[in-house]
Amino acid sequence: MNAPPHILARGVCVDFTVAGRVTRVLNDVSLSVPKGGFVSLIGPSGCGKSTLLKVLAGLLPPTAGDVSVAGVTPIEAVRQRRIGIVFQEATLLPWKNALDNVALLMEVAHAGRGNDEIRGRASDMLRLVGLERAAEKRPAQLSGGMRQRVSIARALALDPEVLMMDEPFGALDAITREEMSDFLLGIWERTKKTIVLVTHSIDEAAFLSREVHVMASNPARIIEALPIGLPYPRNEESYAAPEFARATARLRRLLKEGHRQAIAA
Amino acid sequence: MDEHVARASGANDAGPAPGVRTRDAMSRIMPAFALFVGIVVVWEAASRIFKLPAFVLPPPSAIVGVLVARQRDLGYAAWITAQEIVSGFLLSGVAGAAVALIIARFATFGRALYPLVVLFQNVPKVALAPLFILWFGFDLAPKVVLIVVIAFFPVAINMLVGLQTVDANLIALMRSVGATRNEILWRIQIPNSLPYLMAGLKVAITLAVIGAIVGEFAGAQAGLGYMIQFASTQMQTSLVFAALVEVSVLGMLFYYAIEWIERRYIDWMPHAA
Repeated sequence: MNAPPHILARGVCVDFTVAGRVTRVLNDVSLSVPKGGFVSLIGPSGCGKSTLLKVLAGLLPPTAGDVSVAGVTPIEAVRQRRIGIVFQEATLLPWKNALDNVALLMEVAHAGRGNDEIRGRASDMLRLVGLERAAEKRPAQLSGGMRQRVSIARALALDPEVLMMDEPFGALDAITREEMSDFLLGIWERTKKTIVLVTHSIDEAAFLSREVHVMASNPARIIEALPIGLPYPRNEESYAAPEFARATARLRRLLKEGHRQAIAA
Repeated sequence: MDEHVARASGANDAGPAPGVRTRDAMSRIMPAFALFVGIVVVWEAASRIFKLPAFVLPPPSAIVGVLVARQRDLGYAAWITAQEIVSGFLLSGVAGAAVALIIARFATFGRALYPLVVLFQNVPKVALAPLFILWFGFDLAPKVVLIVVIAFFPVAINMLVGLQTVDANLIALMRSVGATRNEILWRIQIPNSLPYLMAGLKVAITLAVIGAIVGEFAGAQAGLGYMIQFASTQMQTSLVFAALVEVSVLGMLFYYAIEWIERRYIDWMPHAA
C-alpha cells in the first residue's frame, strides 16, 4: 500500500444544471486505488456512483477537484488507452460477430496495424474470456453473460492498465452473476489490471474487492472505505468465511445508515 | 424476436430440411390464399345471382377473360408503369438517404433543413401533379418527380431515426479511442440505420405505385393509370379491373423484392411477422 496510488481523486464535486437549477450530484469525494487494486463503489440508486466512475474514466469532467489516473488526467489517460470501460449493457454491434466486436476499438485505435495482427489479438482476447469457440457468433446468438464477456474482451484488447466497470453484471441473473464474479477475479489475477467496479450487490462487492467504498446520497458522497480482509484467491468457500460475513454485515449497516440520513435530510 | 432467435439457431443447426421449410411456407400462406379464393367465389356468385351489369361490377371470370384477351396491351402498360415506379423509387431512396445523412452528419445545416422537409411533407403532393406535367411533359419525367416528392420522406425519416438511435455509451467508447465523426458514421451509425432504411423503403415502394398512377391520371399517353382512366370513360369496367389487378401484382412484386433483399442482407434485426 506504500506505492503511489494508481487512481487518485481529491475533493471531486460534480454539479448538473437542469432547467436553470444547479444540483450537486457528487460532493467532495476523495479516494485512492493502488496499482493492481480492486475497488468497488456501492450505494443506493442515485448516490452518484456511476457519476464518480464516469469522472474517473474521463467521460465526465468534474466541476471541482483533482483526479489522476496513472499520474495524468483521466482524459489524457483515456487518450493514452490506459483506461478500458465496461458498461451495464454490453453495447455490442448486432451485425458483427464476437471476434469483430472485440476488434472494433482496435481497428480505430490501431489504424496503422495490419488486419491479421488485430484479428490475432482479438482472438487471444476471446480465448482469455473463454469464448474462443463463439468467435463467429453474433450477439443475438450469445447469452447475456457471454455478451458481457465479449464486452470485457473488447475493453481488454487495448491492454489498458485500469478497467472501469459500471454495474457490468447488473442485467444478469443471480447464477450467471456469480459465475461472472469468479470469471472477473480470474481475469484480474491473470492480467493484474487495476479494477474499479460500480455495483448494487453487497455480496458481489465483498467477494470481489480489496476495498469497498460505500456511498450515500443527499449529498452524494463516500461515507466509508471498508477494506475486505479475505485472502485471494477467493472461491465458493469465501462466502462462508467469517471475514466475509463481517464485511457484508458492516456494508449492510452502512448502507442502511446512509439511507436513513438521506431520508432525514 | 422469436423468429430472429429461430433464424439464429437455424444457422447453427444447418437449418430445417428443405421439405419442412416448404411445408412451413405453405401453411403460412394457406389462410390468405383460402380467404382470397373465398372472396372471389362469393363475388362471382353474387354478380351472377343478382345479375349486376358488367359495367358496374364485372364478375371475376370476365376480368380474367380481359386479362387474357388484352394481355399485350396490359403488358405494355405495365411495362411503362413499372419503369416509372422503379426509377421513381430508386431516386426516392437515394434522395431520402441523402437527406437523412446530411441532417445526421451536419448538425447546424440539419437544424435548418429538417423543419423545411417537414413543412414540405405537409403540402398535398398529389396536387402538384398537374404542375409537374406542365413543367416536365407527358412522359417518364413528371411521374418520377411526383414519386420522389411523395416517397422520399418516409425513407429520410426512418433512416434518420436509425442514424440517431445509437447507444450513447458506444459512441463514448468510439470517441475514447479517437474515432472521428466520419468513422463513427461509417462504422456504427450507417450499419445501424440499415434496418430502418429498409422499413422506410417498404413504405416508399407502396407510395411509388400510388405516385405513378396519380401521375398518369394527371397526364399520360401510356401506362396502367392511363389505361384505368381511359377504360373508365369508355365504361370498359372489366378492363379497369384488369389494369387494377396488374397494378396490385406489380406493387406486391416490388414489395416482396425489397423484403427479400432485407432478409438476405440485413439479417441481424428481428423481422416483423
